[in-house]
Formats: sequence, C-alpha cells, structure tokens
Amino acid sequence: MTRAFLTLVALLMLLTGVVVGHYWLYDRATPLKRLGQIAALTQIVSPALSVTHAEPRVLLYEAASNPAYPQLQPINRMDFVYEQ
Amino acid sequence: MSNNAFFHLLTLLLFKQRSKHIGAVLISVIIIFLLSAVLFLSSSIQHTLYEILKKQGDFTVTRIQAGKPANTPTDWINKILEIEGVTDVAPRVYGRYFFAPRENSFLVVGIDFFDPQNTQNLQRLIEGIDLKRFLLGDNMIVGEGVKKFLQSHYFTKDFTFKMPSGDFKKVDIYQTLPKESNLIANDMIVMPIHLAREIFGLDENEVTDITFNVPNKAEWDNIVTKLHLLFYDVRVIEKREIKKAYRNLYNYKGGLFLILYLITLVTFMLILYQRYAMVYSTERKEIGILRAVGWSIKDVLKLKLYENLVIVTVSFVLGVVLAYFYVFILGAPLLKNIFLGGANLANDVAFVPVIEFGILSSIFLFYTVPFLAAVLIPAWKIAVTPPKEAML
Repeated sequence: MTRAFLTLVALLMLLTGVVVGHYWLYDRATPLKRLGQIAALTQIVSPALSVTHAEPRVLLYEAASNPAYPQLQPINRMDFVYEQ
Repeated sequence: MSNNAFFHLLTLLLFKQRSKHIGAVLISVIIIFLLSAVLFLSSSIQHTLYEILKKQGDFTVTRIQAGKPANTPTDWINKILEIEGVTDVAPRVYGRYFFAPRENSFLVVGIDFFDPQNTQNLQRLIEGIDLKRFLLGDNMIVGEGVKKFLQSHYFTKDFTFKMPSGDFKKVDIYQTLPKESNLIANDMIVMPIHLAREIFGLDENEVTDITFNVPNKAEWDNIVTKLHLLFYDVRVIEKREIKKAYRNLYNYKGGLFLILYLITLVTFMLILYQRYAMVYSTERKEIGILRAVGWSIKDVLKLKLYENLVIVTVSFVLGVVLAYFYVFILGAPLLKNIFLGGANLANDVAFVPVIEFGILSSIFLFYTVPFLAAVLIPAWKIAVTPPKEAML
C-alpha cells in the first residue's frame, strides 16, 4: 500500500508541476499589450459586460434603467451596499 | 511503534478503507474547486482591468442634463485645456447601438483618425492595416463577438445602421479586432468619429464626454473644484472611482460565493462530526480496537491526524488544479457568465492566469482546521473512553 500511496503523491506532484509550468510559461504580455492598445485607442476600459440594453455596459458612465421598475437597480451594481 | 510500521498502517487504512474516504474527498474537491474557480476568475479579471486602467485618462467630464448624462459641447475642450496642469485632453464619442430584432446591442466607438496619436494606436493594434483604404469609405472594425453575431445574421460584408433620422447607413466590415482584446472589445465597433456622430445623430460640436490627465496627483482635488467652478452642469469621474467600482463589483460577486462556501463548509463539517460521533460507527470500533491492543491516546490521535491530513491535502491539490484547468485552459464556461454576463453577445475570453497565493493558503487553512477539528474532537472523545465501552 506504501507504493500506491507514493504513486498518488507522484501523480499529485505531476499535476501541480503542470499547473506551475503553465503559470510560469503563459504569455501574459500579448493579451495585456492588446488590451492596452485598444484602451489607448478608444479610451474605454470597461469590461465587455454582456448585459441587456437596460443595464449599463460602460461602468459609471451609463445610467441603468429598467422599463418595468425604473428605480430598481440591477443587482450587480449594489450601490446600496457599497459606498460610491 | 516504529515510523515505518506507522506509515504502513496509515497507507493501509487509507487504501483499504477507500470507499469510506472517497465520499469525503469528492465533496471536498467540489467545494474547493468551486471556491478556487470563482477566486481565480475574479482575481484574473480584476488584475487585468487594473493593468488596463493605467491607459485611461485620469478624469472624464460629461455634461449632465436632468440628472442624466447628455452630449458634451466640444468648446469645453478648449476651456479644460486652459486649466493649469491638464494634459492629453481627448474627446470621446461612443454609445450603444440597439439591434432591435434580436434585442442585442453593440458599443459603437468613434475615433478621430486625424489625430496622429490615434492612427498610431490603431496601427499598433492591427499590424499592417491599410489606413488610407480604411478611411476612404464607410468602414468599421468590429470585435470578435460582433463579427460572430453579424455573420450568424447574414451580415458578412457590411451592416446597415438605422439612424435617429430614420435613414439607413450601410457601413462595411473592414477588419476584426484581435481576439486577445475580447475582455473589453468583444461587443465593440470602432469607426471614424464622423460616422459615429452620424449614426447617433450627434452634431459636429458635440461629443459623448471628454477625458484628460493631470500628471500631478496632488492637484487632483484642486482640478475637480476648478471644473465645478467652470461648468455648472458637469459630472466629473475620477480614475480612482472607476477602480473602486471594479473592486466592488467583483468583490461582491466573489463574496456571494464565499458566503455559499461558508454555508457548505459548515454543513459538511457537521456531517463529518456526526459520522465520527455516532454511537455505533465503525470509527468508534476501530479506535476501541487500537486502544485495546495498547495504543496510547496520543498515538490514536496522531494516526487520525495524519489520515485526515492526507485526505485534506489530496482534496485541496485536486480541487485547485481542476479549478486552474477549468478557468485558465477551458475559459470557465458557464461560470464566466456570472462575472461578464450572458444577456447580450457571447464572449470568448482567454483569462490571464493570476493566482493570489495568500488567498489559496487562506482557503487551505480555513478548510483544514474545521475538517481536522470535526474529525479529531470526536476521535479524542472515543479514545479517552475505556476500549470496552467504545467497542460496544
């Protein structure tokens, strides 16, 4: 059973190694560079939130509105919880 | 007992009674996987957004009418330029175009390509773009999500915008924005500023808002006061407010999962405690036998500690590794919709791996301590009772 245990440990170490390898070797520069370039061009840094037309797409710049309840804030805003 | 014999017994217990442990491992893996996946996703988006935020102007100024953002006059640009310490004043024209038949919307951004800085930025973003050809006709560059959406609706070469006047404007799809920019540009349409103005019905002397920088941070509060003295119908948004908004948005969503995690964790620990504390449980008999053959309380607790430490460690490693693969290799299908939404265009984002080791170690600690307590406390209670009573 000791051998089985050691095999399990080796397997877990291998999995951790794969994760660590991917983490260190991942090319972070290209996506950050591209995102920086589009932000520099458009001056828009808000994430592309896939929201309905009534919800704000560009955070802080657009007012939210709900046709049914005009005063109801979308739940992800939570302005009533966090101080602006 | 020698260490080798102890280790042998420990592995024997772990593998011979694997059906007993497999349930605990499975539940632990699911709980750790879900929490780690949410935290990985939240950290990755926040980290990336903070990096990009450096590119945005320090201040954004927009005109307010009846409490709502209104179009800002272009003559504000010159007035802002006159303020001491202000640099890089740039107008922005953008807005959402609603595609009524499918209830989807695109973010249309107008760029002033007569500004050499903007043409340089576009050439850096799309290498080899023929700017002359692009500016010659009515052309636009679309984000990946927009392109897929338009193609699926048979707009393969161009798209016809309906303008506020009721007229139609056909604009050719010139190129697609790089896939790496999907996090902010998935639903974006970039076009020359005059075209965007036409589509939104803006006058020549109107923009959506104005951005600018103030390199000296000590001047920031002073600049806000000056702007409020200069314009009475103005709303000033600072970069630090945007940063705070992002932090709140993603902390709130991550926090929701943390609450769910705590509820699940407490429930699971109660189940574990109950399993060990049961009067006729196999654990009770097992500890009774060990005590009967001469094991001390310390030895029994040591065995239980190591046995469960192995279970927790295996579960933690498996949970975290699975979460990493799910978020950073598979792109977090389903879960990403909680953070990026799923009501408009589908967004295929590759998340930049960000691991906050402090959070990971906290998860390990907050999982291990209650887990071990839920097992060791009843085990100790059994171990201190006489073996004869324990095995009854």
